[in-house]
Amino acid sequence: MKNRLKLLRVERGWTQEQLGQALGVSRQAVIALETERHDPSLDLAYRIAATFGRPVEDIFENPHA
Amino acid sequence: MLSAWKGGTPAHKRYLVRTMAFMVPYVAICIAMMTTDAFDEVMDKPAGWVLAAAVAAPVIGQIWATLSLMRESDEFVRAVTAKQFILAAGGAMAVAVFWGFGESFAGAQHLPAWLIYPLFWAAYGVVSPFIRASN
Repeated sequence: MKNRLKLLRVERGWTQEQLGQALGVSRQAVIALETERHDPSLDLAYRIAATFGRPVEDIFENPHA
Repeated sequence: MLSAWKGGTPAHKRYLVRTMAFMVPYVAICIAMMTTDAFDEVMDKPAGWVLAAAVAAPVIGQIWATLSLMRESDEFVRAVTAKQFILAAGGAMAVAVFWGFGESFAGAQHLPAWLIYPLFWAAYGVVSPFIRASN
């Protein structure tokens, strides 16, 4: 799923490890999300949105829209 | 394995410890069976079933270790582990079915059924590097 996760993370100066800790997932999971090798669950997508203080739609492109 | 330990999550580290705990006795029994006469005296005796159970127990333990890894990991690791396990199990079962029918109908040499386990892990090792996506 296309997303702006890497851009938002770099904007804040966070490492993948730091973002993983903030989200409660492994660095592997952050890498997979950024490289679109993992489509997050609804729960994780909302956690990401809350971490960045943005709506889910601002981070993930809706493939059905 | 060292790199997996260094870069691994706490769940991965627990998995490696559990895997070693189950694999060491399993491999030790298999090597002793193949290279020594240590178990010849239990052949065709009830103790032979005890030996069979002793080798099967670590297999069950390893399944528990894998399920624990999935339970203790995040959704990405869980999904990738499941894909790797399914592909390896499917590949090993396909080879076993192929060879079993080969034995029954094509005169293939008989192979012991317990080979399915090392075959599964060989398949797991082959497929794992290629399964890097959950979707």
